[in-house]
Amino acid sequence: MDGALLFQSVVLGLLLGGLYALLAAGLTLYFGIMRVVMIAHSAFLILAAYLAWWTHTELGIDPLLSMIVTVPLFFGAGVLLQRGLLSRLRPMTLTMMSVLLTFAIAVTIEGLLGYAFTGTQRRIQLGYGSASFGLFGARIAVVKLIAFGLAAVALGGLYLLMKRTRFGWALRATIQHQDAARLVGIDTARIAGYGFGLGLATAAVGGTALSLDTTIYPSLHWHWIGPLMAIIVVGGLGSVPGAAAAALILGLAQSVLQIPMGTTWAQTVFYLALFATLAFRPQGFFGGRLAQRF
Amino acid sequence: MYKTFRQAAAVGAASIVLISGCSSGGDDGGGDASSKKIVVGISLPLTGDFSEPGKGVQQGYQAWAKIVNDKGGLLGRQVELKILDDQSNADRVVADYEQLIGKDQVDLVVGPFSTRLVVPAARVAEEYDMLFVEPAGAAKAVFEQGFKNLFYAAPAVADDHYNHLADAILAMPADKRPKTVAVASMDDPFAQGTAYGLRDKLKAGGLSIVADEVYPPNTTDFSQIAAKIAATKADVLIGGSQYQDGVNLIIALQQLRYQPKLAAFSTAPTEPEFAKAIGNKTEGVLSPTGYSQDAPYASNKEFVEKFKAQFGKDPEEDQANAYTTGQVVEAAVKAANCAEQGECQKKLVDFVRKNKIETVVGPLTWDATGKPQGAHMIQQWVGGEIKIVLPAETKEADFSYPKPAW
Repeated sequence: MDGALLFQSVVLGLLLGGLYALLAAGLTLYFGIMRVVMIAHSAFLILAAYLAWWTHTELGIDPLLSMIVTVPLFFGAGVLLQRGLLSRLRPMTLTMMSVLLTFAIAVTIEGLLGYAFTGTQRRIQLGYGSASFGLFGARIAVVKLIAFGLAAVALGGLYLLMKRTRFGWALRATIQHQDAARLVGIDTARIAGYGFGLGLATAAVGGTALSLDTTIYPSLHWHWIGPLMAIIVVGGLGSVPGAAAAALILGLAQSVLQIPMGTTWAQTVFYLALFATLAFRPQGFFGGRLAQRF
Repeated sequence: MYKTFRQAAAVGAASIVLISGCSSGGDDGGGDASSKKIVVGISLPLTGDFSEPGKGVQQGYQAWAKIVNDKGGLLGRQVELKILDDQSNADRVVADYEQLIGKDQVDLVVGPFSTRLVVPAARVAEEYDMLFVEPAGAAKAVFEQGFKNLFYAAPAVADDHYNHLADAILAMPADKRPKTVAVASMDDPFAQGTAYGLRDKLKAGGLSIVADEVYPPNTTDFSQIAAKIAATKADVLIGGSQYQDGVNLIIALQQLRYQPKLAAFSTAPTEPEFAKAIGNKTEGVLSPTGYSQDAPYASNKEFVEKFKAQFGKDPEEDQANAYTTGQVVEAAVKAANCAEQGECQKKLVDFVRKNKIETVVGPLTWDATGKPQGAHMIQQWVGGEIKIVLPAETKEADFSYPKPAW
């Protein structure tokens, strides 16, 4: 194997893994807060990507600026989604019904996107779309670095929020033990709503990052949800740092495995990792403890 | 013999004869032949999956009928199209052609759209010994069914699209000729057909294939494929692309600063938005095309002009292929001096089999399976426009190699 190609693939894999990490973080939050499987997460991701594309094409401004609107908007939508729909599901059947409900939301978003923008594949045409710079013989595309930067900043922000603020403590307490959190005076219903909003806000950032360098089309979210689900299981359901680590490793593995296996087969790495995790270490490899209780 | 044939009863022909209604006495009341219309039966996917191209094909047929009729018709008879909607359904298409040939007693039939519908339709035409010229269905499978009456009215099947380019590359002097080839194709029979046609010809000509990638149709991130291709520094890049995948791959390659000496992509570069999508760095990119409004064939000018007058837009490949189908049938009818079911159909088939027919996509000839023997024209981006560069007879600009950097 050619050393330069290997290094290039590692660089590309890390850049891809950063984006996976951000997206998986949102999914992990939902699962941690409510034990719900949020199938619509990647649909919101594509919605944000479309809004970024639309901002650029129709308004002629940089797609990154769309986040000024989409991040608060998605946060609000997440709070409403949790308070208005998911929290009304009966706890007994919550996990299964949440899959059905969020599946319906995903299909609705996909349908509306198809209605509004047609099924044609779209791509943002940026002046700096093909710009890149060299790093020890590998080339790093500017758009990919921006996407990675967005992911890193958003994840860093999320980490600080969770660790350093009262809201973050309350959120973590809610994730760890809802009843206990309520006993110490945390309004878990409100916190859970905000947590959902936070998760969906990561989809807004992720979607914008995604739109910079790939094609988007309404049904693209099905392409994303599988790998993301695999990542959060491997990372240990409910653990944000675990999901981030799993995302980086799997993104890297996918990228490097494309050299010998080709594009089609390299995608299977996610599912192999998922099976292996469920078979040998269902609690995940990175410290998530929730799966044991699940 | 379960079908009723009015004409057969009229001439009192023996009931064994399947191919009836052919001879002179068959006309209603024996009126003179020139007053009777030539009815052409067609089944098209006007609704369903293929409705978009189906309507394009319909327009091509309509343009052909109008142009023929405006000139006084075929053999002095007006041409009438009898079009049924098969709803893009292969079962329906069989029933449609059974009805057109058996019940409606059309004089001629021409093909529907898409391989999936061409094969069952051709089988019916074959049963009734009807000439079957078709505007779509370029896949290999169409020509492996043993059809004797089928002819594909286009310059070439997918595998042969790049023949002119392959010849041009192999004709270069050894010191200038490219040496290495990288291929990336969508996992799709048409895209792979075109790309692998060129790949295999270059390989047979002594070039080495240094990368050969296949990606699923839903691929959106091409950076890894691009990394593998860029690492080979291949002279020639062949992309078996549709549209967006080609654009994505080119941008990913540009990000890695890969500069091939020759880049050929199926379909994508002929799309109107292509230049803008890759940042106007199109110079030198090649693509095969089956039809060009600017192609200098005699009948093409007339077709483009009259099509525009009739439909208010330029004809595209689907329309042109249907029109070509009409032209082939027209030439056969004129030469055989007949247009009806029965013996006449054999004369039509024989004529098409043995002759070169001039059409809007150039002169066409066919092999025994009905496969056209030509190749597509090769277009290249020159000075911000896509122009025909190969073959030499039809070129609008010179083929440039190596291409400028992108």
